[in-house]
Amino acid sequence: MAVRWSRVAPQIALTPALVVTLVGFAWAIGWTIYMSFTRSRRFPDYTIDPADWYAQYDRLFGNDAWTTSLRNLIVLAIGSALAIVFGFILAAMVEREKFGEGVFRTIFLYPLAVSLIVTGLVWRWMFNPSLGIEAFLHQLGWTSAQFNWLATPGTAMYGIILASIWHGMGFYMALMLAGLKSINTEIWSAARLDGVGLWRLYTEIIIPMMKFTFLTCAILLSLGVVKAYDIVVAMTNGGPGTSTWTPAYFAINAYSTRSNIGFASAAATIMLLITLAIFLPLVLITAWHNRQGEASRT
Amino acid sequence: MSSDPEIATFPASLGAAARSVRRRRRIRGSSIAVFVFLCMCAAFVAIPLYVVIVTSFKPIEEVTLGRIFALPVHWTLTPWYKAWNTLCTGLSCDGIKVGFFNSLAILFPSLVLSIGLSSVTGYALALWNVRWAGTFLFILFICAFVPFQIIMIPLIVLVSNIGLYGSVWGIALVHAILAMPLLTLIFRNFYKDIPRELINAAIMDSGNFWHIFREIVLPMSANIMIVVLILMITTVWNDYLVGLTFGGISAAPMTVILANAVVTSRGEVIHNVNMAAALLTAIPPLVVYFALGRFFVQGITAGAIKG
Repeated sequence: MAVRWSRVAPQIALTPALVVTLVGFAWAIGWTIYMSFTRSRRFPDYTIDPADWYAQYDRLFGNDAWTTSLRNLIVLAIGSALAIVFGFILAAMVEREKFGEGVFRTIFLYPLAVSLIVTGLVWRWMFNPSLGIEAFLHQLGWTSAQFNWLATPGTAMYGIILASIWHGMGFYMALMLAGLKSINTEIWSAARLDGVGLWRLYTEIIIPMMKFTFLTCAILLSLGVVKAYDIVVAMTNGGPGTSTWTPAYFAINAYSTRSNIGFASAAATIMLLITLAIFLPLVLITAWHNRQGEASRT
Repeated sequence: MSSDPEIATFPASLGAAARSVRRRRRIRGSSIAVFVFLCMCAAFVAIPLYVVIVTSFKPIEEVTLGRIFALPVHWTLTPWYKAWNTLCTGLSCDGIKVGFFNSLAILFPSLVLSIGLSSVTGYALALWNVRWAGTFLFILFICAFVPFQIIMIPLIVLVSNIGLYGSVWGIALVHAILAMPLLTLIFRNFYKDIPRELINAAIMDSGNFWHIFREIVLPMSANIMIVVLILMITTVWNDYLVGLTFGGISAAPMTVILANAVVTSRGEVIHNVNMAAALLTAIPPLVVYFALGRFFVQGITAGAIKG
């Protein structure tokens, strides 16, 4: 009968996805977490020393490069948050002026189609002291100009932040534009009638109304920052020294250069924990938002 | 704000006229400021592309002058030719074309695998009564955000065991696994808006699961297919990490070869050739972007929020 069949067929169709989830995600995550408690080096070693199961984590947090990575993660997150700020400003301006909206949107968004590797290489070229922007400024007569950020440990991270902002700004602008467009048009005209100033209109009415969009942006940005790897490779390859390492870079490096599965797994596990810490609020907010949406609809 | 009280003393008509002149002038002034600011930001965004294009057409003698914003005096295609045919990666000097064909060979199976798998899954979860659908969707939601590093090493072990490590098929398989949660959520969100009556009527009409998918659901999915296609093409083409960790030496995609040539190879750095190679790598997704901009925005935001 059709009813019977309609029960079995979907289950069969879902099997591949189920296998992918169970093997590719659940099993793989479990395996990595397990490995982080072992002393595996080049090859997996499945014995856990019960007295010393946290050895890899001990080594990890005693490692200077790892502490640098964590610090860079925070610096990068705060720095790239500017992309959200600029994204909102640009979205508000583009939305208000209407003039040339399509053109501006096309320009601001194209970096998103460019890979982070290419982005990094291009900015690396712009930062080149003898051939890039610094040389250009010197030729203009501003000989004290310093734009060789990538060469010194103190400023290299700012170079990466600049490139990340360049790459991500348009994306946040697009999200903000979508958010702005969903705001009821009556609010704009009501505010104008009441003589509310532009500054107050945005800070006291529009931004609070868009807090969900801002939160989404912030969470997406943080998740992106935790994954930051390509851009670091392309711009500095971790250097100078280990000054631009990120947790993602650290984990890959521990596996591919040090060939240490246990150590890499411990770093990856911490990455997962950071992701979950960012992610949990997103789940809660989404649930809350959905319930609000349903409440307002009924 | 200037809600000028003195205007009230004018005769009504004059006041209105003065006010409208004032308002028009004020808006135009701020409009120009906004427009200038937008243009400056657009310049910040556009300049790197301009610099790369200009550099890639310059002969090396002009590049070493350091005039990064100047147009080439003598336009040349040699850097492009060299980038395509003789770019060196430290191991070999076969140019970026090897990576281009590897990237193509990775792209097509990943598209077929990931879209095939997730559209069917999304359809089953959206339109058929599966008891654990809610739980499964929640798990997929989490999986969509998991960092790649946490599943990388076991997947390498797995892919090596089935003999696909270092082949384009291995990379395509990993791309399909990575993309499955997000794409499934996108498809499911799209399909759940198909009216249930339509499906129930089709079941009455002795349509089975696959029949309904082929005859009713697929023909309705043109829009979402384009969005997902764009999302996948840009993700797979721009990917570096999966290609690096699963490609070995023989199946390295374009981004890996480019990064090797510029970042890790020792020896003479030829900037104009590198820039041409970077452009060659960036062109396919850029073409997709400029040709299908509207869908591109939808794809990116769907990829971001709907998850």
